[in-house]
Amino acid sequence: MSTYERSQHDRALYETADPVIELRDAEVVFEMDRGVSRVLDNVTLDIQRNEVLGIVGESGSGKSMLASAMLDAVVDPGVLSGQVTYHPADGHPVDVLELSERELLKHRWEDISMVFQGAMSSFNPTMEVGEHFEETIEAHDYDIGAGMDRARELLEDLYLDPDRVLPSYPHELSGGMKQRALIALSLVLEPDVLVMDEPTAALDLLMQRSILSLLESLKEKYDLTLIFITHDLPLVAELADRLAVMYAFELVEIGATEEILRRGSHPYTRSLLNATPNLDAPLEEMRPIEGAAPDPVDVPSGCSYHPRCPLADDECVASDPAFQAVSDEHSVACYHWQDAPDAIPFNVEVEVAEDCPQTDKEGECLPDERTADSSEPEPQQAENRAETDGGDQ
Amino acid sequence: MTVSPTEGDREPQTDGGEMFATAELTQISRRQRYGEWFQEAVREPFSIAWEDWRMKVGLTIILGFIAMAALAWVSSSTFWVLENVTILEEPISNQGPQSLQPFESSDHLLGTDNQGRDILAGVVHATPMMLQMILAGAVFATVMATAVGTVAGYKGGTTERILMTISDVAMTIPGLPLVIVLVVLINPQNPWFIGIIITINVWAGIARTIHSQVLTLREHSYVEASRTMGISTPRVIQKDILPNLMPYITVNFVYSARRVIYDSVALYFLGILSFQTVENWGVMMNLAYQTAGALYNPATTYMLIIPMIPIIVLSFGLILFAQGTDRLFNPRVRTRQSGRTEPTEDADDDTPRVPQ
Amino acid sequence: MNWVLKRTGQSVFTVWAVATISFGLIRLMPGGAEDIIVARIHESQGSDVPAEVIREQVQHRINIDPNAPIHEAYLQYMGGLVRGDFGHSVYLNRDVATILAEALPWTIFLMAISTLLTFGLALSLGAMMAYKEGTRFDISQTGVAILTTSIPYYVAAVLFIAYLGNRTSIFPARGRYPAVVEPGFTIQFIVGSFHHAILPAASFVLTVYGLTALAMRGNSIQILGEDYVRVARLRGLSDRRIALRYVGRNAVLPMYTSLLISIGFMFGGSIILEELFQYPGIGYYMYQAIEYQDMPLMMGTFLVITVAVVIALFVGDATYSKLDPRIKSGDDSESY
Repeated sequence: MSTYERSQHDRALYETADPVIELRDAEVVFEMDRGVSRVLDNVTLDIQRNEVLGIVGESGSGKSMLASAMLDAVVDPGVLSGQVTYHPADGHPVDVLELSERELLKHRWEDISMVFQGAMSSFNPTMEVGEHFEETIEAHDYDIGAGMDRARELLEDLYLDPDRVLPSYPHELSGGMKQRALIALSLVLEPDVLVMDEPTAALDLLMQRSILSLLESLKEKYDLTLIFITHDLPLVAELADRLAVMYAFELVEIGATEEILRRGSHPYTRSLLNATPNLDAPLEEMRPIEGAAPDPVDVPSGCSYHPRCPLADDECVASDPAFQAVSDEHSVACYHWQDAPDAIPFNVEVEVAEDCPQTDKEGECLPDERTADSSEPEPQQAENRAETDGGDQ
Repeated sequence: MTVSPTEGDREPQTDGGEMFATAELTQISRRQRYGEWFQEAVREPFSIAWEDWRMKVGLTIILGFIAMAALAWVSSSTFWVLENVTILEEPISNQGPQSLQPFESSDHLLGTDNQGRDILAGVVHATPMMLQMILAGAVFATVMATAVGTVAGYKGGTTERILMTISDVAMTIPGLPLVIVLVVLINPQNPWFIGIIITINVWAGIARTIHSQVLTLREHSYVEASRTMGISTPRVIQKDILPNLMPYITVNFVYSARRVIYDSVALYFLGILSFQTVENWGVMMNLAYQTAGALYNPATTYMLIIPMIPIIVLSFGLILFAQGTDRLFNPRVRTRQSGRTEPTEDADDDTPRVPQ
Repeated sequence: MNWVLKRTGQSVFTVWAVATISFGLIRLMPGGAEDIIVARIHESQGSDVPAEVIREQVQHRINIDPNAPIHEAYLQYMGGLVRGDFGHSVYLNRDVATILAEALPWTIFLMAISTLLTFGLALSLGAMMAYKEGTRFDISQTGVAILTTSIPYYVAAVLFIAYLGNRTSIFPARGRYPAVVEPGFTIQFIVGSFHHAILPAASFVLTVYGLTALAMRGNSIQILGEDYVRVARLRGLSDRRIALRYVGRNAVLPMYTSLLISIGFMFGGSIILEELFQYPGIGYYMYQAIEYQDMPLMMGTFLVITVAVVIALFVGDATYSKLDPRIKSGDDSESY
């Protein structure tokens, strides 16, 4: 397939200097009655050590599948193929898909761990939160005393009171507290990489911001690599060093956050930026993306975005575009990326143009402005908030 | 259970102009409301459930017994023209040779008992009374349970405490001994009455389940909204609560029905309920057990086994029916079985729902 | 603590309510127990028995003075029950309390075996079916469960007696222990008792487990799809721990009420089973009491069965609140 050729020719486009995880042609397939459902389509990607990578896409674009693939944790009837390589800080690279069941159990949570989107339901409702920590430490044969000390430290780092949280049952904690406890649980075995799938989806705005700032300090303190998966582009843009955009189960664009926001080159990325809700934008300027996300059983031929793309032509229908370099740190899978800015102008341009501090050569305002409106609350504030949350349960 | 789906057609909506012209614009006609309720609560679920094999088999069995009861009723009826119609004679002593084995004579296909009664006739003619008992018992238990459960759950406060304490106490009293004591003291004969006595405390357990369901439902936003809008309690119960309780009500209706079969047959079998004729499968078993020595004598065992078959088949049908409703009420099972994905509905659930 | 008090109060209230109901049945019902006894006295001793003699006899048998005003008779009856005086059995010519004390352990023995085996089989089989959802094992076991559930326990008992007891004598079909063995703590006696309990217990277990197994299967399938089970797997927990602590516990909890109800159901069923197997426990004596219109014995057995169920439910409820932390905050979500 074309993707394979792509990986042969354009190696430099996705490689990074010091990758911690390498994905090569990662594919997830479900066999179903009505056909084969390909929910992750040959994704090739490097994750740089200690970076924050944001993976963005609309619902049902395969983001969660990508996250699961990194841990070889695809749910049961799904089959993951391709190559996933983990590079420990010291030692030999590990081929994750070749690991035995035992080694895989060790690899997960010790090297790379994950926070699921369903934080509210990630704890066993009939078990104390503390027991979740203990059983995890025991299952991996870590020292229980040292492990629990680390758990307490992590909880404190996340502005939670360990003496209160550990003996509580999940239903006694608020959503924000559960989310933070879950992050602590995912870091208790000192992994290098933390994959987070919509970690803030069910939280209110204030809590989202505070968790984001907590993540930033955690990353510094524990030398983490963070992979942050979300549909909320403005949110992740604050945190991420790089952004990867997914559409229809494959990557369509990847680059440094600034680059994507300023010069997003895939028509889909541009539409996504225009469709993103923003408190400042007047309602009439928000443009929903026309059409619907494709069915995983029946993905359109060629570029899968062509049925919704204003720039689509015969070439797009006929073959799947390979990645092309926009700049050093920015590549896009589109034949017409150079025409995209004209065809799909950013809709905030008109309004913000005058007081925009920075514009690029096409007169587009740097879209950071669109997102930097909300100041991050002090962690102490967040704590108060969480406590009141918990109090009325 | 088997209401004809043809009445469910919606009436056309009144047009907007007329609605705003009248003061009581929310007064949609009663018939229309029931029509909609019927559509939502009976017809649509029914067509979904029918796709399930368990539902098909279960319902077929139940309908078969209803047909059998109709046949017995027509045969024994003295009403007008039916007086002369007899498809299958009632079981009478010495209508055939004594203790005739099954499949030996075409006149008495399932043989005769030790007093020469036709066993097939006995099985068929016991059906109408059995169905009457089942209907009475199951309706009593479910209506009682639904009333107590919803009122307690919805009203709360003292009402709730009193009703739930009564239910808890009633639930704790072991059913069969209580029924036996009542039967011994009252000696009921009417099948409707027997049915109710058998379910005298069956409702309590169901009421408790429904109560906790109502507690959950009450917190749902749409119920909350209805209450805030000042809609009266009976309307909220009817409109928002009852349709959501249908799974429990249906399933428990079926299980109460099964309970009535088990207990009524047992009461006749043990001779606790008195009888004049072979009016119940339990009576046939009783006679085989007490007078024909069917437990010890292999030659008469068939007299005990044959009346067991309709008991087992009917409860099998009822259980299949109850299991078949599972597809109806559990949306997860429903989509999984129909093989549909829900691509964009649920935020970010990229996992296909149909990986089977 | 508060919970224990409340629950104890409720249990006592239930027993009191049942005792009151049985008093009502005996005393007040037209054609009720009292009338039946009087009729029987006339039957056996002629119609010209002096009223005073009747009164004495009735009081001796059921602790109710037919001539006393209702409230006095009630207090008299309840007082008797509290002292453990259930009246005198006409048919066996023994005190009801003595008969019950002798029979109760056997019923409890039989019920304990049946209940434990039923729940053990149902819960483990249900969970296994859920783990193997859609496989041939699951489908065939579902079919078997539905089929066996359709068989009334007494039908199974009759078949067992006819084919495994009387015809082949693999298992004893009647009695509580071998006739040749003296009761006592001997191996023969204990083994013999279990041997005699096999068929009655099997009649229950094999016909009652099905619905519970199917419910367990459904709940487990649902729990297996929960996020916390997936996370637990990723955290590297052992399958054993996940099956017991995650799936098992969370799947059983919503079924608790129906499990408790089935305990009552089985105790009730002991009347039929013990009669069929000629197993002299509480149920057997209740049946005898009905056959011989022995009212004191009948009401006594009824009360004792009720108390046994109340205690079983109390224990069950107590373990429930231990298992489910949410019960403390009043969130008891149940399903059928």
